Amino acid sequence: MIATLKPDSSHALRGLSDLRIRNLFIIPTIIFLIVFNIFPLIYSLGYSFYDYSAAGSEEPVFVGLQNYRDLLSDPNIWNNFTVTAKYVIISVGGQVLVGFGVALLLNRTLPAKGLITTLLLLPMMMSAAVVGLFWQLLYSPSWGVINYVFGLGDFAWLSDADAALWAVAITDIWMWAPFVMLLSLAGLSAVPKHLYEAASIDRASGWYTFSRITLPLVSPLLLIAIIFRTMEAFKTFDIAFIMSTQPTTEVIAIRLYKFAFQEWQTGKSCALAYIVLIMVVAITNIYVKYLNQVKER
Amino acid sequence: MAAVRSNAQKIGHRLAIAAVIAITIVMLSPIYWIASTAFKPRSLATTVPPTVVFSPEVTPFIKLFTKRVQLQKKPDQATYDEAPWWEKKIYDAGERVLKVAGGPQMSAYPSRFLNSLIIAVTSTFLAVAMGTITAYGFSRFKIAGEADLLFFILSTRMLPPVVVAIPMFLMYRVVGLVDTHIGLIILYTAFNLSFSVWLMKGFMDEIPKEYEEAALVDGYTRIEAFFKIVLPEAATGIAATAVFCFITAWNEYAFALMMTNKEAQTAPPFIPAQLGSGITDWTAIAAGTLLFLLPVSIFTFLLRNHLLRGVTFGAIRK
Amino acid sequence: MSKRTFASLMAGVAMTIAGASAAAAEELTIFWAEWDPANYLQELVNIYSKETGVKVTVETTPWSDFQTKTFREFAAKGSTYDMVVGDSQWVGAGATDGHYVDLSDFFMKNKLADKFLPATVAGYAEYPAGSKKYWSIPLEGDANGWAYRKDWFEDPKEKEAFKKKYGYDLDVPKDYKQLRDIAEFFYRPDQKRYGVALYTDNSYDAMAMGVEQTIFSYGGDLGDYATYKVDGITNSKESIEGLKAYKELYKFTPPGWAKAFFLENNQAITENLAAMSMNYFAFFPALANPATNPNAKGTGFFANPAGPTGKRFAALGGQGISIVSYSKKKEAAMKFLEWFIKDETQKKWAELGGYTCSTAVLKSAEFQNATPYNKAFYDSMLMVKDFWATPEYAELLTSMNQRVYPFVISGKGTAEEALNGMTKDWEATFKKYKRYK
Repeated sequence: MIATLKPDSSHALRGLSDLRIRNLFIIPTIIFLIVFNIFPLIYSLGYSFYDYSAAGSEEPVFVGLQNYRDLLSDPNIWNNFTVTAKYVIISVGGQVLVGFGVALLLNRTLPAKGLITTLLLLPMMMSAAVVGLFWQLLYSPSWGVINYVFGLGDFAWLSDADAALWAVAITDIWMWAPFVMLLSLAGLSAVPKHLYEAASIDRASGWYTFSRITLPLVSPLLLIAIIFRTMEAFKTFDIAFIMSTQPTTEVIAIRLYKFAFQEWQTGKSCALAYIVLIMVVAITNIYVKYLNQVKER
Repeated sequence: MAAVRSNAQKIGHRLAIAAVIAITIVMLSPIYWIASTAFKPRSLATTVPPTVVFSPEVTPFIKLFTKRVQLQKKPDQATYDEAPWWEKKIYDAGERVLKVAGGPQMSAYPSRFLNSLIIAVTSTFLAVAMGTITAYGFSRFKIAGEADLLFFILSTRMLPPVVVAIPMFLMYRVVGLVDTHIGLIILYTAFNLSFSVWLMKGFMDEIPKEYEEAALVDGYTRIEAFFKIVLPEAATGIAATAVFCFITAWNEYAFALMMTNKEAQTAPPFIPAQLGSGITDWTAIAAGTLLFLLPVSIFTFLLRNHLLRGVTFGAIRK
Repeated sequence: MSKRTFASLMAGVAMTIAGASAAAAEELTIFWAEWDPANYLQELVNIYSKETGVKVTVETTPWSDFQTKTFREFAAKGSTYDMVVGDSQWVGAGATDGHYVDLSDFFMKNKLADKFLPATVAGYAEYPAGSKKYWSIPLEGDANGWAYRKDWFEDPKEKEAFKKKYGYDLDVPKDYKQLRDIAEFFYRPDQKRYGVALYTDNSYDAMAMGVEQTIFSYGGDLGDYATYKVDGITNSKESIEGLKAYKELYKFTPPGWAKAFFLENNQAITENLAAMSMNYFAFFPALANPATNPNAKGTGFFANPAGPTGKRFAALGGQGISIVSYSKKKEAAMKFLEWFIKDETQKKWAELGGYTCSTAVLKSAEFQNATPYNKAFYDSMLMVKDFWATPEYAELLTSMNQRVYPFVISGKGTAEEALNGMTKDWEATFKKYKRYK
C-alpha cells in the first residue's frame, strides 16, 4: 500500500487546484475574523489614550499614556492581578489534574461509557451565572449542603477572606474539568494499543509507560485544552462576581466590569483591557511555542 | 506469568471502575440536587439536612412559564374555586398570575428558549463548518506566516468581553444588527471560530496525509477526498468541537444581554432572574436550569459515540 | 491617524447610530428592573392603554443588569426606550449628560413639588440640589427599614431575660444602642439564631446604603453635596462613630453574611435566622405574605432608630420616571406623564401595590393601615437621605466599597483609616472631574 502513496498531481488537478482550495478554505475565515474584530480592537486601543466616557456628553480628551500610568500605579489593580494569577493557577491546575485523571480512568472498556461521559460533561453545559448562584447556596453555612456533608459546622467559605478564592476556584474546577477530560480522552484513545503491549513485554514501569508513551501522544490536545482554559480563566467573571464580593476574589474582569459599566470610565477600561490583552498574548505565546515543540518531537 | 498479569490487570480494572463510579457520583451530586430542587415545594429547597424524599411538585415549572406577582390579598373563595388547577398552585404559593386580555400572561421563557435554540444551533453549525475547512487548509497546505495567522485567530478570543461589548454594540447599531437573531448568530460564530479552528487543527494533524493521497491516486478530486476520506476520520474532532461550540453559544450571557432588547433575547439572562425579587425562590430557577440543560445534554448524548471513538485511525496505521 | 480625527471618527459613528432605528406610532416603552413593582406598573398602564389606545409596555431586565443596559442605550443615544424608571443616583448623569428631558416646566405647571413628598422630589427629581430643575416624576418611593421577629420580642421569657440583662424593656429599638443590645441578646450561635441581618454586598450600592444611614444617624455625613467638600465631613468623629456602630452590628449577623442584599435579608426572617433584618420596604410584601413567609404572623416592621443625638435617617431607595431625550415619542410620553400624576392614577397605583410618592395618598389612613409596614414606610419617607447623585457617583461607590468593606467584614485597619482613605479617594475623584472651583 505504501508503494502507491506517491502523490499524483494530475489527479489532484482534476477539479479545483490545491491552491484555490487552500484559499477557499482559509481566506473567508481570516477575513471574517478581521472584519469582526478590527473595529473593537481599534476602538479600544484608540480610547485607551483618552479620558472618555461612552455614556457621558463630554468630548474625549487626549491624555496620552495617563490611563496606563494611573492603572499601573494603582495598588488595587495590582491586587486584582495577584488575585487573577492565583485564580488561574489554582483553577487551571485543578482542572488539568481532575480532568486528565478522570480521562485516564475512563480510557478503558467500560459498560455504558457513552452515558457516563455525557453525564460527566453536564457541569460545563450549565451557564456560569447559574452555577455561581447554586454553588453559593451549596457553600452557605446556614442552608448549604457542603458543610452538612463534610461536617464543617458554621464554616463560612465565602465570608472568609482566605477561603473564598479557593471556594470560587473549586466551583470553576467542577465546571470545567470535564472540558479537559473530554479532550484528554480523545488524545488518549489515539495512543496505539500495541505500544502499551510492547512496553509491558519490556516490563517497563508504569511511570515509564506513562511519561514516554502516554503523555507525549496526549500532550498536543491537552495543551490546546490548557491554552483555552487559561485564556478563559484570565477573563473569568460570572462565577467570581456572583459568588463573592471579597477583595480577595476580585479578579481583573470584575474590575474591568466596574470601570466599563458601573463607572463608565470607557477610556480607562480600554487601557486596562489592553494591559490584560498583552498579558494573555504573552502567556499564550509561551504555551503555543511549547505546543509546537511538543508536536515536532 | 500471563495469568498473574491478567489477574493484576483485573484488579486494576475493577478499582478503576469503582473510581469512575465514585467520581461520577461526586461530580453529579450538585446536578442531582438542582434537578430535585426543580420539583420541590419552595419551603423544602433550603433545608439542612437536604430533603431527599418528598412528593414532587410541578409548581416550579408553572412559575417558570407564567408572569406572576406577590399576592397582596387572598383571592376570594369564588375566584379561587373557579381558577384552573395550575393557577390554584400559584395562589397556594402566595402569588397570582398576571392576566392579559383575559388569559394568563406567559413569561418570556418559552420565546427566549426558542431564540436560544435558533441562535445556538445555527452559529454552532457555521463555526464548526468554517473551522473544519480552515483547519484542513492549515493542516495540509503550506501557508506563508502560518504560525502568525493561527495566533491571530486565537487572539480574537483574548479580549475580555466586557470591553468588546461597547464598540460591538455601537457597530451593531450602525449596521442594524442589534436585537436580531442574525446579529447574535454572527457574533457567536466569530466567538467560537477561533476555538473551532484550533481544535479541529489538532485533530486534522492526527489524520495521516497518506490516506487522502492514496485516494487522489485512485482518481478522487481533492474536494471528494476531503469529504469522503478526511471528514469521516475527523468525526471525533467535529463532534467534540460541535459540543463545545454549542455549549458556549447556548450559555453565553454578556453579549446576549448587551446586544438585545426584546426580539432576540436568549434564555441565560432570564434564568437567574427567577431567583425572585422578594423571596428567594430556588425552585423556579432550578426548573429553568433543568429544562435549559435538556437540549444541550441530548445533543451531547447523541454524539457520544463519535466523541469516544478517538483518533484511532491515524494511530493504528502509523 | 491624528488623535483629533480618531475622536471625530468615533463621534461620527455615534451620530449615525442616533438615526438608526425607526419607531412605530402609538406605542410607548418604559424600561425598569425586573421586580413586582414593574408588573404592577404594567397593570397600571394597561388602564391607560384602554382609555387612550396607546399601547404602553414595561420592559424589564434583572436588577443586576439594569444600570448596564440602560446606560448602554444612552451611550448609543438609542430610542429603544421612551421612558426609564431610573435609580435616584442616576439623576445627575441623566441631567448633565443630556439623557433625560428637562421636566422643570411640567413640574412647575402642575405644582408637583407640592403634590409629592418633599424627600422624593429632592431625591428622584431635582438636580442639582436646590436648583429647581426637575428631571423625573417620583414613581416608586422607597427607603430602608427593618423587619423583626415580633413573636420573639413578645415572648415573656425573652422579655424577662432581656430586662434582667439590659435594665430596660425589650421592644422595638428606639436608638442604635438598643438595636445593638437586642442584636447581641438574640445572637445565639448554638441555637442557630442570630441578632441582625445587614447589607454587606459591596458589588454595587447595597453595603453603602446600610453604612450611610448609620453614619447619617450618628451625625456624620457623606460630604457637602453642593460644594463637594468632604474632608472633615466624611471622616469626622461622628462619621467614624457611625461606621464603628455598623461594624459592631456585623458581629451579630448570621454566619456567611459577607455578601448579603435584599434576598438574603428577607431569607433571614423566613428561615428563622435573625431577630431583625434591614431591608428596603419594596421587599417587605413577601414577608407579610403567609405563603412566602411561614413567620408572617410573627413579623413586624419598624423605621430606622435614632442615633446617639436623636438624629434619624433612612437610606433612600426608589425611582422616578424620566423621559429619555433620544426618544422619538417625547410628546406621547409627556401625555402619559400627565395622566400618571393625576390623583386617581396615584391612588390606583398604590392599590395595585406600587409605593406612590403622592403626599395625599401616603397621609391617608386608608394607605397607612393597608399593610403592616405602610405606617413605618411613611415614617421612613420623612427622614430619607440619599447617596451622592453626581454623575461620578459610581466611582465614589467603588472607593467606599474598597475602603469600608475590609474593615467591616474582615476587621482590617480602623474605622478612621477606612474613612480617611475614602475621603482622600473622593477628593481625588472630584478633582478629576473639576468639581472644585
